[in-house]
Amino acid sequence: MSTTVMDRRVREEGAVWGLLAEFTDAAELIEAARKVRDAGYTRWDSFAPFAVHGLDTAMGIHKTVLPRLVLLGGAAGCLSGILLQWWTNAVDYPFLISGKPLFGWPAAVPIAFELTILFAAFAALFGMLGLNGLPRLHHPLFTSERFRRVTTDRFFIAIEADDPRFDSGETRRFLTQLGAAVVEEVRD
Amino acid sequence: MRTTDISIDRHELGGLAPLLLKLAGASLVAGVAGIALMATVGGRGLDRILQSWLVGFTFFLNLSLGALFFVLLHHLTRAGWSVVVRRLAEGMAALFPLLALLAVPIVLWLPRLYRWAEPGVVVHDPILAGKAGWLDPTFFTIRLGVYLLIWSVLGLYLFSRSVRQDATGDPRLTVTMEKRSAPGMVLFALAVNFCAFDLLMSLDPHWFSTIFGVYLFAGSVVVFFAVLPHLTHWLQHHEELLHTVTVEHFHDMGKMLFAFVVFWAYIAFSQYMLIWYANLPEETEWFLRRQSGQWVWFSLFLAIGHFVIPFILLLPRSSKRKIHRLLLVSAWMVLLHWVDIYWIVMPELSPGRVPLDPLDLFVMLTMAGAYGTAWVLLLRRRSLVPARDPRLAESLAFENA
Amino acid sequence: MAEAPPATRQPLILGEKSLGQVSRDILSLVEGGATPLWWTAFLISFTVLMIGAAAITYQIATGVGTWGLNKTVGWAFDITNFVFWIGIGHAGTLISAVLYLLRQRWRTSVNRSAEAMTLFAVLCAGLFPVIHLGRPWFAYWMAPYPNTRGSLWINFRSPLVWDFFAISTYLTISFLFWYFGMIPDLATLATRAKSRLRRRLAGFLSFGWSGSTSTWLRYETVYLLLAGLATPLVVSVHTIVSWDFATALIPGWHSTIFPPYFVTGAIFSGFAMVLTLLLIARKTMGLEDYITVRHVDAMCKILIATGGIVGFSYLIEVFTALYSGDPYEQFAVVNRAFGPYAWAYWLVIACNVVAPQLLWFKKLRHNMLVVWIISIFINVGMWFERFVIIVTSLHRDFVPSSWAMYRPTIIEIATLAGTFGLFFTCFLLFARFVPVIAISEVKGVLGPGHRHEEAGS
Repeated sequence: MSTTVMDRRVREEGAVWGLLAEFTDAAELIEAARKVRDAGYTRWDSFAPFAVHGLDTAMGIHKTVLPRLVLLGGAAGCLSGILLQWWTNAVDYPFLISGKPLFGWPAAVPIAFELTILFAAFAALFGMLGLNGLPRLHHPLFTSERFRRVTTDRFFIAIEADDPRFDSGETRRFLTQLGAAVVEEVRD
Repeated sequence: MRTTDISIDRHELGGLAPLLLKLAGASLVAGVAGIALMATVGGRGLDRILQSWLVGFTFFLNLSLGALFFVLLHHLTRAGWSVVVRRLAEGMAALFPLLALLAVPIVLWLPRLYRWAEPGVVVHDPILAGKAGWLDPTFFTIRLGVYLLIWSVLGLYLFSRSVRQDATGDPRLTVTMEKRSAPGMVLFALAVNFCAFDLLMSLDPHWFSTIFGVYLFAGSVVVFFAVLPHLTHWLQHHEELLHTVTVEHFHDMGKMLFAFVVFWAYIAFSQYMLIWYANLPEETEWFLRRQSGQWVWFSLFLAIGHFVIPFILLLPRSSKRKIHRLLLVSAWMVLLHWVDIYWIVMPELSPGRVPLDPLDLFVMLTMAGAYGTAWVLLLRRRSLVPARDPRLAESLAFENA
Repeated sequence: MAEAPPATRQPLILGEKSLGQVSRDILSLVEGGATPLWWTAFLISFTVLMIGAAAITYQIATGVGTWGLNKTVGWAFDITNFVFWIGIGHAGTLISAVLYLLRQRWRTSVNRSAEAMTLFAVLCAGLFPVIHLGRPWFAYWMAPYPNTRGSLWINFRSPLVWDFFAISTYLTISFLFWYFGMIPDLATLATRAKSRLRRRLAGFLSFGWSGSTSTWLRYETVYLLLAGLATPLVVSVHTIVSWDFATALIPGWHSTIFPPYFVTGAIFSGFAMVLTLLLIARKTMGLEDYITVRHVDAMCKILIATGGIVGFSYLIEVFTALYSGDPYEQFAVVNRAFGPYAWAYWLVIACNVVAPQLLWFKKLRHNMLVVWIISIFINVGMWFERFVIIVTSLHRDFVPSSWAMYRPTIIEIATLAGTFGLFFTCFLLFARFVPVIAISEVKGVLGPGHRHEEAGS
């Protein structure tokens, strides 16, 4: 593709973001994802209306770091729960009540526990949002009328134009071969 | 998805049975000889032997109770994953007649273990006099007999129906077992709770705690799920038996072990915290005894060893899927369950001093020998897998999502 | 349902649905607008809510003296309502988290509405400790914050402070769990929306969800993690509620079995309330293919199991009190069963122990009307259980000269009614504006053969 043609396109309709292939079935999507992975594409993703099992391995995605984040969050919560109770009730404002020690560990367990859970859950949630880049108010794919059915009953694979192996014609042919019902260009 | 045709697979003890019987027999002989040696040369009296005996008996009783609970729960929930290991548990759950036999020395010399069984003590103690109707040697013996009868009937029933299915392949047997398990669970729960009150809580006949039965129940499931992976792995390792059991099943056993370790801690903490907080002398005495003298260290070891260590070790997914790590933790939990029982029984009979003794080991060897022999004899000519269970295929193909 | 051979698992969703149809079915109320039935129910609930609001306003303006409390019985209706609502709030998280961990896939049809129920029930519950304070405008004193009154901190050794932390954590996490589970469905709502406003709003609330695989993967991981965190949390909340009583010395309150007993009781009452609501919802909203007899059957079995544990706890309580040799404990038990509030005690036994036994029969489990009536019985029984625990233990304590009776005032009854109004108003708004069933999860449990949609439909 010559640069002049490319430039004119950019000016007219925005840059090509990538190609979107539509599938009607989860099994087809898994099969296609495996082939896209084997073809060596790196900047691509698949989309489905529900969590399709086996898709992650078909795409070659590795485990997330989320469990570690949650562990850290929980540890921080537990520690702050204990420190809070010890410092306020035994150091800053020592106050003897009902014959209990100023800091008796059995009485400190409930709040330390609640804060552990709270912080761990925050770590899980905000960690997930951060890693997924959400909230995201705009995505080039949202311009596609066809793509709107992804939340209802259609399955998609999108290969980005930034992918080193991306070639408009070659990639389109490849996606059609995979059994895509429709392949369309998505512009930014 | 894996498919395993288990018909081409050997799944009987076969050649392993003589080896296992030899091992169990050796354990039994060594145990009995050890007890005799400690009694004669070591000068340990009958009282001390009975104390160890009660600990050992409770340990193996709990193992069988955990197994029975597992089988009942399997049927009640119509579980799929656990079919492949169910026969091993059914074997353990059918051993209550043997346990009844092992309970004889306890019943025979009741007053040597239980203060309330000595008439001389009861007359001078108004509280005990008030409980004399319930804590009565004859009534106690009858109750213990009833508990063991309930468990024996349940265990043997489930075992025999499951074995019959091996022969007939009748899927209706599964449905019947599921139906019978619901009332079975009710009887099981009541018997476990009152047995815990009778056998262990009454060692301190003044003390009472409504959660005590639940505490013992939690421990029984822990010890079962600690023993099961070892048994499965050992059988797998020798002569490739049971290779129908995959890492997925070990993963689930690890999860169950983890869950019940946490449940045990929850119950133990609830009991301790409420008594600590309310600070009533008639309740705190039980814990004070475990916080005095050498028992302090023993109690700390129990709290850390039975909760903190297994909790940390079992938390990562990998520790449940790497079989050798799981085996390490579960071996530790088998030991710690014994520690738990020891901690319940011994401070009542030996306040201030942890009376660890070779005798404890010999009693455990004796019991393990008898228990193991009975288990092998029961399963010797049977399939180790419920080969014609209608849900076996689901269990074989099982994967953790 | 005929006796199926044990090897086959029944389908979870009936009627051979296609993916698109699932979205259409579940979103019908949201997209189709309110029905007259909805408006009737809403107006009734809202009126009752307003009556409750008036009662609370009057009580706050006048004082706690408008309630029937006295020096001996300092906790009664208020704390009963608190424990009752918190208990109701346990089934949602249990269905979402515990059943998820136990791989009970039938939960997908009921978890969304059960989670919403949790949220509204916890809101109702949280109200009572606050209005009970006497000077509720100082409620923020319960939070540990640096202040100018010198070194002054709350007493962390008090179970009531534990409650404050437990309830607020639970409310937060329940909300996050509920909202989090809804993100993919909000995206569905957005892409299907006809009006621009609704599309924008739902799209914004769905955080720009695109359904990409890496997003789904992390989403599922977080769901699993949140389930793993919510499970001990839900247990801890009612455990701490039970500690409000069990740490005290009052006979009938101080019992070590309270934590697991309260937790099971909460699950028991929560499931009863889920059944009460869902049986109405499935009928009025035409969700019979999604909330099937099988779902009801499974929940009935949970009722038998948890009801059994509750009955077992009653038995152990009575036995241990008699066994303990403690005359005060013994008196508390006898007073419950044969004292002036004996009617309430036997009502509890009838509703919580006897009535659920009917569910052993499959015929009755599959009769929706019978199940619905039993669920009402359990709701009533569980409310009275807390009433019996609280009032009978307090009204005759250690010193006979201070014995007293408690009788609720009209203000207290109106306040209780008002929380029901709040609960149902919230639930109706939820059913009107958000998908009541987790669409994306239901799509995941449709059989593989049912997923095709004819082209162009």
